Amino acid sequence: MLWTDTPQRNANANSLVAIIPIAVAALPIYYFRKGSPQIDSHVALFLVIGSVAGAYIGARVLSRIPDRQLKFAVAIVLGVVGLKELLLP
Amino acid sequence: MSWADAAAVVGGFGAGFLSGTIGIGGGLLFVPTMTVGLRLSQAVAQGTSLVAIIPTAIVGAFTHFRRGNVLSRPALMMGGGGVVGAVIGALVAVEVPGPLLARIWGGFLVFSAYRLTMQALKASEKTP
Repeated sequence: MLWTDTPQRNANANSLVAIIPIAVAALPIYYFRKGSPQIDSHVALFLVIGSVAGAYIGARVLSRIPDRQLKFAVAIVLGVVGLKELLLP
Repeated sequence: MSWADAAAVVGGFGAGFLSGTIGIGGGLLFVPTMTVGLRLSQAVAQGTSLVAIIPTAIVGAFTHFRRGNVLSRPALMMGGGGVVGAVIGALVAVEVPGPLLARIWGGFLVFSAYRLTMQALKASEKTP
């Protein structure tokens, strides 16, 4: 989505499909590579509860969302968090 | 259910909603929810976000698939190519010291913020 001119709706859908094998491939490395798993299953469970509901609702209301304003808002959040991680990791 | 659990649900909802609407990867918000909100280490946050991404992406992808939004060939090519990069990236990430990993992640977030801003501005120019 960040790189190509694919229509927004198709880009969103494609990225969701593509991320599935990517996450499945990377997950065992975080689990097995170190002495202890680099995963918190308890937190993951609660993240999933919220995110599955959010993903379902988000995909359904996609056509009614003010895309530009949402991107600006998310860019601000990512920028602030990113600067925090860069300067105070 | 503790406050931390509730924060994870709220952060997860936001990440899922934004992945379903503007298409940013859920991990972009999963990881800050855990590092900033729940004080998990960068590596654990990244590993945990992968666990959470899989069901989230399946639900979102299925919903889009039913609506005919998925372009199968590009999606499969992206996924196939991404697998190689993901394995290499994960092998590197679990060996990198925490503060450096957080700085790399921070740089990626700032860059993503820049790209999103440019996209939003481009959309503004197209609007009559």
